[in-house]
Amino acid sequence: MRKTIPTFIFLFFFVIAVATSGVSAANTASSATEEHKASVMISDCTVNPEAPMCNDIGTVTVTVKNMELYKSVNIKEVQMLSQGIKVLSDSYFNPGSLGPGGDLSLTFTIKATCPDGIYYPKVIVNGEGAQSIRYSFPVTVDSSPLTIAVKDVPEDIFSGERAKIELVVGNPRPNNVTAVKIVTEYKDVMPAEVFIGTLSADDSEVAAFFFTPQESGDYFLNFKLQFKNGDNYHYTDLSVPLTVTESKKSAELILTGIEEESLPGMNVYKITGDINNAGLEAANSVVMKVGDAEGIEAMQPYKAYFVGLLNADDFSSFELNVKVEGNKTQVPLIIEYKDEDGILFSEHEYISVESTQGIASTGELPVPMIAVVIVIAILVIGMISYSWKKR
Amino acid sequence: MLEILTNPNKFFEAKKDEEVSLKIPALIVLIIGIISGIGAYFMGGLTAEMLSGTLPSEAQAFLSFISISTAIIAVIASFIFWIVFAVIFFGLSCIFKGEGKFKRTLEFVGYGYIPMIISGIISAIFIYNIVSTAHIPAVTDPAMIGIALEPLMKSPMMLLSYAINILFMLWSANIWVFGLKHARNITTKNALITVAIPMAAYVLWTIYQMGVM
Repeated sequence: MRKTIPTFIFLFFFVIAVATSGVSAANTASSATEEHKASVMISDCTVNPEAPMCNDIGTVTVTVKNMELYKSVNIKEVQMLSQGIKVLSDSYFNPGSLGPGGDLSLTFTIKATCPDGIYYPKVIVNGEGAQSIRYSFPVTVDSSPLTIAVKDVPEDIFSGERAKIELVVGNPRPNNVTAVKIVTEYKDVMPAEVFIGTLSADDSEVAAFFFTPQESGDYFLNFKLQFKNGDNYHYTDLSVPLTVTESKKSAELILTGIEEESLPGMNVYKITGDINNAGLEAANSVVMKVGDAEGIEAMQPYKAYFVGLLNADDFSSFELNVKVEGNKTQVPLIIEYKDEDGILFSEHEYISVESTQGIASTGELPVPMIAVVIVIAILVIGMISYSWKKR
Repeated sequence: MLEILTNPNKFFEAKKDEEVSLKIPALIVLIIGIISGIGAYFMGGLTAEMLSGTLPSEAQAFLSFISISTAIIAVIASFIFWIVFAVIFFGLSCIFKGEGKFKRTLEFVGYGYIPMIISGIISAIFIYNIVSTAHIPAVTDPAMIGIALEPLMKSPMMLLSYAINILFMLWSANIWVFGLKHARNITTKNALITVAIPMAAYVLWTIYQMGVM
């Protein structure tokens, strides 16, 4: 029994030692087998746009790199799989062989058909004699649009006066957007389009428009914000309600003392009168013209009359010549002037004229007169012929 | 004298043997000038009436001066045209190696004005008829007179007057052909060319004035 215990201990350690050496040998054999498989990895993965919006189409570019220093790897297949994001492009089969340290970029087209959230598509790389790779990467789908709002607008907007409207565009998205521009189709708003360009994440830009209403009343100015997320266009609309009232200070041109002097026969009228500025601001470069209308034609020497600067509470005389044809009794006048900002204003007035009778005789040729001319012509021709016969 | 109308060739053939005398031609031109002056007086009166609104009452007497001055200008213009025509004919005939003094040319051109006396009388009657029947507008701006007179100048009666003037001018031109032939000793053909050039220009200008062209 005294010998049995040491023997048992010896056997125990022997068995342990044998078992340990067996496992070690097995491990060594296994390592030897894996050393034959080459090592490849995904060295880079780029998603464009970085954060697609719902239904945006984008691209994923993955770079497969051969990590071996002395051995080439033949890539058999690269495919992308995703449950949330739709992969539009096909897998790559036998895209090529990678030399030692070489890499290969492959692009997949995706479409974010899913709700907002973070998705993890997988890229699977199978290489001949290489380890298979399953690489997951995050794609954030964020449908937050750009915001557009009114930054500043005058409290009072008057007809005929220019009002500056400032709009601010913000980018609450996690990525940059490009081709940002604001467009309006309203004819009294200048400019019709403001291009902002690239707008970084969490950044904002201000765009200024100038609104010059010609009439008072309620207006809804519609602006359309357009931008690109990757290659996808998106739009956001903004409607700005404005109330335009009559200006209390602007130039107010009125005509008084209108007289028309007719030149019968020609139906030419000389229209004279005074143009008065009843407003509180000066009217610059005042020009009076005869408006376009059928049967109305401006005549020299005063086809147009340049009044020039007309200060508040000031007046100037004017003169226009116009030919009126047919039964026209209204002559359109156009009064153009500019405000201090150089904005052109145009007012239309109508002057009534009375139709006149002809200057000269009725225009009919008396028959005896025609006969006399004929007789004279015969006489002259006869005398000339006679003189040549006699010579 | 009637022979100049019926047989100008014979008239000038005989006349070139006589001493050069400008008395009768000058008298003919003067008569034409007076007749033209009468017509111009009527037109001047029309213009004065149109301008009556532009002048203050104390300056109304000036209006009568317009008619008289217009008539005087017409008389002077008749002599100027006589000389101008003679100069043109004399100059053009030089191309055909014409010989003879300018004074002779001036004399014969003056004789050629005889048919114009008749046309002057007819024109004066026509102008009187036009002026007396026209409704005359008051013009306050002298610049508008041209516009106001335009329909009158292009009225059928006035166009008729232009046509008669052209006819008689052609008759005068016919006389000038034979006058130049003898005054400058050139052939009938060359004389015809000499007269035809300025006459063609005159006729075209008159037609243009009529507004036909």
